[in-house]
Amino acid sequence: MRSASDERTRPAPALSAAAGGVGGTSRLRPVIAIAVVVAVLALWPSVAPNAYMLSAGVVVLNYAVLATGWNIMGGFTGYISLGHVAFFGLGSYGTGLLVIHTGMNWLLATLVSALAVAVITVPIGFAALRVRGSSFVIVTIALVLVLQLIFQSWSVVTGGSGGLVVPRPFPDMLRPEHHETFFYIFLALLAVTLLVWTVIDRSRFGASLKGVREDEDKAESLGAPTGKLKLIAFVISAFFVAVAGGFYALWFADLDPLFQFRIILSSWIVLMALLGGVRYLFGPLLGAIVVGSALEYFVLEHGDTQFHLVATGLLLGLVVLFLPDGVLTGVAQLFRRFRPEATSIREVSAEDLRRQQEEQEAPQQPTTSKEASDDRG
Amino acid sequence: MITGTLLFQSLILGVLLGGLYALLAAGLTLYFGIMRVVMLAHAAFIILAAYIAWRFSTATGLDPMISLVFTIPLFFGIGFAIQRWLISRLKPATMTMMSVLITFAIALIIEGLLGQVFTGTQRRINLPYGASSVDFFGAAIPVVQIISFVLAGLSLIALYLVLKKTRFGRALRATIQHREAAQLVGIDTNRTAGLGFGLGLATAAVGGTALSLQATIFPSLHWHWIGPLMAIIVVGGLGSVPGAAIAALLLGIIRVMLELWWTPTWAQTIFYLALFLTLMVRPQGFFGGRLAQRF
Repeated sequence: MRSASDERTRPAPALSAAAGGVGGTSRLRPVIAIAVVVAVLALWPSVAPNAYMLSAGVVVLNYAVLATGWNIMGGFTGYISLGHVAFFGLGSYGTGLLVIHTGMNWLLATLVSALAVAVITVPIGFAALRVRGSSFVIVTIALVLVLQLIFQSWSVVTGGSGGLVVPRPFPDMLRPEHHETFFYIFLALLAVTLLVWTVIDRSRFGASLKGVREDEDKAESLGAPTGKLKLIAFVISAFFVAVAGGFYALWFADLDPLFQFRIILSSWIVLMALLGGVRYLFGPLLGAIVVGSALEYFVLEHGDTQFHLVATGLLLGLVVLFLPDGVLTGVAQLFRRFRPEATSIREVSAEDLRRQQEEQEAPQQPTTSKEASDDRG
Repeated sequence: MITGTLLFQSLILGVLLGGLYALLAAGLTLYFGIMRVVMLAHAAFIILAAYIAWRFSTATGLDPMISLVFTIPLFFGIGFAIQRWLISRLKPATMTMMSVLITFAIALIIEGLLGQVFTGTQRRINLPYGASSVDFFGAAIPVVQIISFVLAGLSLIALYLVLKKTRFGRALRATIQHREAAQLVGIDTNRTAGLGFGLGLATAAVGGTALSLQATIFPSLHWHWIGPLMAIIVVGGLGSVPGAAIAALLLGIIRVMLELWWTPTWAQTIFYLALFLTLMVRPQGFFGGRLAQRF
């Protein structure tokens, strides 16, 4: 499923065909795709050989929600947050504390705590987004580090390093049933997150966010209030990550600040999204399945060693250096090689564009106007 | 009971800590000036240098500071290599974000390897002068803190002299100020940028060795350092070395003073508070120039 902006940069005939079908199938296509993917994923509990594999499925779905939620900010605006684990941790502690102290319904507690996280995110995002990229990165990492400090020290409320035990929402369920229930809960959350992503992708709001990603100055000069839009995207993104954190707290039932706010989880989220491809609806999900399964396999085979840090670092470095647009982009490019007319604006460097324009302007040259007009698309 | 002597002692200790912060933040500022890169692996290299100093000292029985003889050239080379072979490969359009991920990946690899090789056990160098302190107008100042402050101060002076007085320093400053103009007057900006990165990482070698004298080290310690250092360079204004030094001294003093009332963990949050307030009130930092405006 490609991002809508890429559809728009297709050459004229394809564009008009798509425009003709906007009212009907084209808008429904991603919804159908989400339904199909979710239906396929829902088969897992019936094919999983044992309760352990089922719980691994829950973990992977949790990663998928985190990566897809992250992608609402990272994918559209290009602002890479290394601090989303902070929202995950806040959401989980908020839910846990609400359930313990007020005895609230688990779903309500999760939503209330995620809304609270969204409110907290507003001033944080405001500070982080006042200047361009670098400060954003610094603030997001600093956020994780400071929350780690606070949640460890403030042990009266959070239980500190001793941990916080959250009562299970379904006390009379057996372990496999419990995993299965949470598998479907996470799957529903994933479906909602994917839907929100695709709605933003096709909206004017999403188009402005992509403008920020491609060229923030130009987006601003075209009248997009980039500061406000980035902040809204950041808050929505944090909200979904916080909901996932809440469900995780209810499922795992034991919270430790070092685990809930570990920065390595942030890097996994980024790795998953980048590996799959941030421009694609299912990119982060694909990355989460690949990286998440690999992580679970590693823990099963080798236990919890320091090696996973090295492996994560190496993989992240390789993806950034050689595959920054993700595997789905790589696959799409491979396919496009056999369809020469379908070219995206990003594949043409400014240098190529200038050369093509010069060729077009020279009258004796054979016309390449078709390509050039595509590129301006 | 907080007495005048105690306040005075905290002030001195704060200045000593601030000096170390200033040296470490200077490296971070240098990278930012050269490539607009937030080098997250800086603190990981500091811890790596501290581990090398510890290993050297326990294996040979010599003073850990002698390890600087080989760590400085080694780190200089690594810094050069990182800039030339990793950072400069990235596309300019996504440089800011992707360079953060690359350096984050390097930090993870270093932390993981340190954990693999030396395990997660906390390490500390046993020095003959480790526990002794000097009486300074009634304040007891540990000798190790004075040594690391002197090391930091000497390296900062050396860095200043290199930047201001040498031909290479002029080329480096020209590269930082305006890359194209620097190329026009015949500076090989790529090579200069690489050497600048080497210089930045060499400060990490000195800082790490200074740290190994006075602190207990463990692989994940670098996260406790990178946060304060990033806060310092933002408060000082991204890209401004004097700004970073002033911010480092101020925040170092405030942090140590706060420990009179708060636990060290809570005192540490002052860096993040300062970072947040700076971005709210004056996002370009308090001493930053033209550079800090847009980043």
